[in-house]
Amino acid sequence: MSSKDHINDFAGGGVSRRTFLKGCALAAAALGLSPDVVPKMVEAAMSPKRPPVVWLHFQECTGCSEALLRAARPDIATLILDLISLDYHETLMAAAGKQAEENLHDAITKNAGKFICVVEGGIPTKDGGIYCKIGGRTAVEILDEVASKAKTVIAIGTCGAFGGVQAAKPNPTGAVGVQDLVKGKPVINIPGCPPNPENFLATVVQILTYGRPPELDELSRPKFAYGRKIHDHCERRPHFDEGRFVERFGDPGHKKGYCLYKVGCKGPVTYSNCSVERFCNIGAWPVGAGHGCIGCTEPHFWDTMMPIYKHLPGIYIPVGGGIREQAEEIGKVAVGGAAAVIAAHAAVGIGKKLFSIKCTSKEKEEEK
Amino acid sequence: MIRREPRLYYRVFVWSGTLRLFHWTLAFSTFILILTGIYIHYPPITTKWAEFKPQYIMATLRYWHFCAGYFFLCALAVRFYLFFAGNQYERPMDFLPINRRNLRSLRHNIRFYLYLTDEHECRMGHTVLAGTIYFILFICGVVMGLTGLYLLYPEAPTIARLGHELFGTPQQARLIHYLLNWFFIFFIMVHLYIAIWNDFKAPDAIISGAFSGSKMMPADLECPVEELKKIPFEK
Repeated sequence: MSSKDHINDFAGGGVSRRTFLKGCALAAAALGLSPDVVPKMVEAAMSPKRPPVVWLHFQECTGCSEALLRAARPDIATLILDLISLDYHETLMAAAGKQAEENLHDAITKNAGKFICVVEGGIPTKDGGIYCKIGGRTAVEILDEVASKAKTVIAIGTCGAFGGVQAAKPNPTGAVGVQDLVKGKPVINIPGCPPNPENFLATVVQILTYGRPPELDELSRPKFAYGRKIHDHCERRPHFDEGRFVERFGDPGHKKGYCLYKVGCKGPVTYSNCSVERFCNIGAWPVGAGHGCIGCTEPHFWDTMMPIYKHLPGIYIPVGGGIREQAEEIGKVAVGGAAAVIAAHAAVGIGKKLFSIKCTSKEKEEEK
Repeated sequence: MIRREPRLYYRVFVWSGTLRLFHWTLAFSTFILILTGIYIHYPPITTKWAEFKPQYIMATLRYWHFCAGYFFLCALAVRFYLFFAGNQYERPMDFLPINRRNLRSLRHNIRFYLYLTDEHECRMGHTVLAGTIYFILFICGVVMGLTGLYLLYPEAPTIARLGHELFGTPQQARLIHYLLNWFFIFFIMVHLYIAIWNDFKAPDAIISGAFSGSKMMPADLECPVEELKKIPFEK
């Protein structure tokens, strides 16, 4: 069967040929590849040997799956019916209980060394990992077994990548990301809360087409999606350069679409393509809607990017029972303290001098 | 009051031209960095929602901040070079509290600044207290430079990797960068005060020395460097 016929066959299956090609072209564009590879991508995406995917859920809110369900380039039907073979996904599969466990077992034994393991959610490690159990087994055990047989591991969402909200201090369950447990295997992080599904899909298509993961940064995030800061492509950047800032939510500057830097936008320190890819295929994204970036693609953002509406985090001072203070206040206190000390020091010097003059004049009088 | 001071002073050359160049480059660049940095951290309202004319103020001040930052880094590089290639007063062995002579000097400095003694130690180079603080400032400057480069070039692979290893995310680097800024403000206040205070209390004219490179040494003092004492002033 020629490639063209194949496409037409494919088009009969619910997705129009045009939509499918568009999806492939968009995936190529997202990856920064030349249009020449689109046919190759189409070929790879339509190959009868769809790569099996096992999707694991641990400590998570299913937000990443929810985001994926709303993807449209390509949509979820195209993804799971035509691009990949989704063999195990607790939220989407029909099977339950013993059947589901069998499915997982079959999927990883039949496709050992060939399947892609996607992990959504953090993995608790404290107290033997008892804080997350599925089918009587801990998350650590399940991940060990599945990841050891996988070809590639993709951690989707900030929880899977870095531990997420449950890893925030004091991290009661000892939650960690996948890369802290899985060694000797390529782990690709697609962080975000939730991540943009298109970044995930583009990564999968890249693996399908070339058989290897895209170029990664030092946190194992694909560079095509997490290579630049949000700030650099932000639509409000001209207002930043002009010095026009929203002072508080709802003020005239906010209504005019000024920069959200002073109300705590973390765009200048967050790597992601949100300002370019946007969400939900309608060009919507948080900063566009008037709310600052919260830095959700960065590791431990629950600890380091807080407070959401402040430029810099508070600092823990280990006195007075431990108080949190703004960096600014600390600076002001330090400088004020220095000024007070300088004044006191100068006063002591002058006082001492005046005193010694008095003494010497007294002595002179006595001598007379 | 009659102040009994040595009658005769020798003017001795201590600070090389390179060191003075370093000092003033660092001073002016730090001044600009602090002013522009505070604007960048917390830009005050300058527009009043009216947008009369393009100002480009944040972009301009950021540009100045980066230019001054490069001067700052160059100054640090020069000082680092002088740690090894400078004259004997510019090397760390002379002013860090690492031997008995310097520890004794440090103790004396602290007593002098606490008004516990009026006896001024006439010393050719930095006093040990000052030298130690300057060395800490140098380290802080290096951290400032590295966090600054990390924030300026977050996409350059080497800098990004180094920054990530040393400081974590750019947000954490930003916090360190901001907190050390207060240390520099603190240092400038104390440094200026102490320099002026010393000019009142001590005869060696250190403010003038920051320009001329020389110090006034009492002629009847048992100078640690006999040879220099004999040469009144020579560059």
